[in-house]
Amino acid sequence: MVRHTQLTPLSLVGVSIAALLTFPLLYVTYAAFTGDLSQAGNLWNTRLPELLTNTISLAMGVSLATLTLGVSTAWIITRYQFWGRAFWDWGFVLPLAIPSFVLAYVYTYLLDTAGPVEQTWQWLTNSEAHIPSPYSFTGALVVMTLNTFPYVYLLARAAFQNFNLSFEEAAQATGATRRETFWRVSLPLIRPALVASMFLVVLYVVSDFGAVSLLRFQTFTYAIYQQITGRFDYQSAALLSLLLVGFALVFLFAERWFRKQSRFYQTSGRVRTATPKPCSMTRVLAINLSFLVIFIAAFGLPVFLLIQWTLTAWTNGEVGTSFGTYIGNSVLLSATAATAALVLGTPLAYLASRIPSKLHVACLQGAYIGYVLPGPVAALALLMLFTDMIPILYGTIFVLILAYLIHYLPAGLQAMESALQQVNPNLEEAARNLGAKGIRTFMQITFPLVRKGFSAAWLLMFLLCMKELPATLLLRPIGFDTLAVRIWLEASEELYQLAAPPALLIVLLTIPAVFLLSKKNWQAG
Amino acid sequence: MSLFVEPRRTDPVSSSIATSSSSSQAPMLELNKITCGYQPEVPTVRDLSLHLQPGNILCLLGPSGCGKTTTLRAIAGFERISAGEIHLQGQVLASASFHLPPEQRRVGMVFQEYALFPHMSVEDNVAFGLYHWQPSDRKARVQNLLDLVGLQGLEHRFPHELSGGQQQRVAIARALAPKPLMLLLDEPFSNLDPDMTIKMRKELYRVLRQTQTTAILVTHDHEEAFAMADHVAVMQDGILVQCDTPEGIYQQPSCSFVAEFIGQANTIPGIINNGQIETEIGTFPNQSDFHSETHVLVMIRPIDIQFTPSESGSGRIESRQFQGSQTLYGIRLSSGQLIHCCMLPIPVYNIETSVIIHVTTSQHAIIFPQPALS
Repeated sequence: MVRHTQLTPLSLVGVSIAALLTFPLLYVTYAAFTGDLSQAGNLWNTRLPELLTNTISLAMGVSLATLTLGVSTAWIITRYQFWGRAFWDWGFVLPLAIPSFVLAYVYTYLLDTAGPVEQTWQWLTNSEAHIPSPYSFTGALVVMTLNTFPYVYLLARAAFQNFNLSFEEAAQATGATRRETFWRVSLPLIRPALVASMFLVVLYVVSDFGAVSLLRFQTFTYAIYQQITGRFDYQSAALLSLLLVGFALVFLFAERWFRKQSRFYQTSGRVRTATPKPCSMTRVLAINLSFLVIFIAAFGLPVFLLIQWTLTAWTNGEVGTSFGTYIGNSVLLSATAATAALVLGTPLAYLASRIPSKLHVACLQGAYIGYVLPGPVAALALLMLFTDMIPILYGTIFVLILAYLIHYLPAGLQAMESALQQVNPNLEEAARNLGAKGIRTFMQITFPLVRKGFSAAWLLMFLLCMKELPATLLLRPIGFDTLAVRIWLEASEELYQLAAPPALLIVLLTIPAVFLLSKKNWQAG
Repeated sequence: MSLFVEPRRTDPVSSSIATSSSSSQAPMLELNKITCGYQPEVPTVRDLSLHLQPGNILCLLGPSGCGKTTTLRAIAGFERISAGEIHLQGQVLASASFHLPPEQRRVGMVFQEYALFPHMSVEDNVAFGLYHWQPSDRKARVQNLLDLVGLQGLEHRFPHELSGGQQQRVAIARALAPKPLMLLLDEPFSNLDPDMTIKMRKELYRVLRQTQTTAILVTHDHEEAFAMADHVAVMQDGILVQCDTPEGIYQQPSCSFVAEFIGQANTIPGIINNGQIETEIGTFPNQSDFHSETHVLVMIRPIDIQFTPSESGSGRIESRQFQGSQTLYGIRLSSGQLIHCCMLPIPVYNIETSVIIHVTTSQHAIIFPQPALS
């Protein structure tokens, strides 16, 4: 019996979009292995050991630090009743509003030789002791940890909130102390959430460019950028990129695999969840004090400094008309890219959810390729592709928008997929049954029902594009600067005041989106 | 004892079954050996043939996963068929090489969960299919239909503001609005509570008859099928096993599956001997011309079996289930065979009472060949 293959025009559209999104990576793979490979051996001997050590140790260090920070804050907030709890509950999500390169640039100021932290330390200890330089592993570790621990916090918080209390009670009934119960029962049971958040953090760390470049810490992304801009050595950059993509892919598949495994951990039926316990005055004080230190380090102090610098820049008349141009450029690029992503993502998400044939699901999976393409890699792929094949487009905002599209479509696509899945396909069938053609059905039935979800997807992609740094640095037309690029350029020159106004603007714009994110059900699995 | 024994039918699948045996009218709907459902999650349908006369109501009856909804969706155009043909008023809707899009079929459908558009008012839902009508005609038609289903005054409500029964009325009105050639209803009562189901069943019956609508109704409830249908088509594992009037289905089921699906039945093993069927509870004439020594099954409904208490009886009351107007007893015979019978609720017999079984009427006894023992 021949199975029907329904190759509709819409399927062809989906296939073309998926091809557009995946082709650059295929091309960079091809380009990496054609031509003179002697460079590769050279690269292997000189740069690779350092890059591997740095990238892996940073990923490991940040995972450990964020796990400690995220789990302990989540545990205290879900299990104890104390004054200030409501504030911390959402306060720990706020650090996500600060782009990594903004936090990095604030910390290069704070931790620099003779900077505020060193001066305070020397005054406190009455010594000439130096603190670790920000341009080091320690600097990168501190910045990346403060920047990403909210992911762990969110996932651990959701896990503790949905935790079935009966397991803990059963442990205590056998005579286990509270401490033993935490280590032997509670923590192992939220392992899916911990692993999921660790994958998220590792993926974030290995693909970050902004922070490591400002802290001059040699990881893969930074090295790829240097190969492109400093040495114009595209082939070495391509080889490094493929290693990084491979690394990210391994992590992505490991995460998927683990997510499947973790289904067994979920309890079914009625779940009794914990009610927060009241605690003593000293405890309340200790909790609030330690939380305040974390909050100040991750959000309070950076934002305070940004405001202060912005005011100085303002009174000095350093915020000129060019600032308006940068805002205009950023908004133009981000809005165009987000809109294009929505338009291109819709057929993919629609086909995969309504006619989930192998072809359609493969197209959707292809669109998720941006997950494993860190900014510099996406930029390199397009750079090589366009200089080789369509040089006339190279250096136009078209290429830049395409880079944004590939890089950030996955984030929006997830929101679009879930919005479409919430619309019962029977509604569309009912419309067809009443004589409406496909287009009218989409415009009058499907679209009004997914509008909210699609708006959220658009907003998310818009904000991510506003913060995009490496691809913009590499692909922007000459003289076409965005807010993110200005922050990075000024910060590289240690012109803190000049970098502050655009940084503050991005932080303020991102805060609403962060709240949207924190309301989402962050359950692993 | 005069017995009516239904001869075993020929393979019901290979012959097409007309729902109206003595009609010269052209059928409204004709399914000609259709096969469909090769997607992984869709039950398959094989070689299914059906005719439906104008104004008739047909029920597709069967357990879940038997392919009845797939059949309905194939008629509506939501599933493609890989073999056979679907004709509506003589026009081809689908064949192996042709698929008329759902929006061009003029077949109305009421979905199981109604699928009312949540962002539109009752009025807009009903008017959705009247897109190309003149505004004044459209308004009149909507009003007309809301009157028909008894929803006057609720035009501006939204679906979430309606009760289950009201939602169903909207769904029916919406499906009927564009004057479809026929109506398909997928388990229309499965989302209603039992009281409402009976009320809506009558209501739907009235609307369908009043509008002389040709309809196919999918259900797994034989009482619903009997109450609504001119003809009942029973499906099992993607195959149409019998299509007949409700009475015909009940009295002359074509196989033990149908017999048991449409109501409680006792099946008792027997053997052909001297032109008679000998069973543990009596002998029956061999009207199906089974060969001597053939093992057969005799099916008798509980209503046709009675018992009397007797010390010497070979049966023993094992269970008793009070059902209001009658009581259902389970009698264990000495051979281990369990027989169900319906008795008046009074007097009440105790469990463990020894009894003798009588077959009161053999009118409804049906004989099937016994499946080969493995």
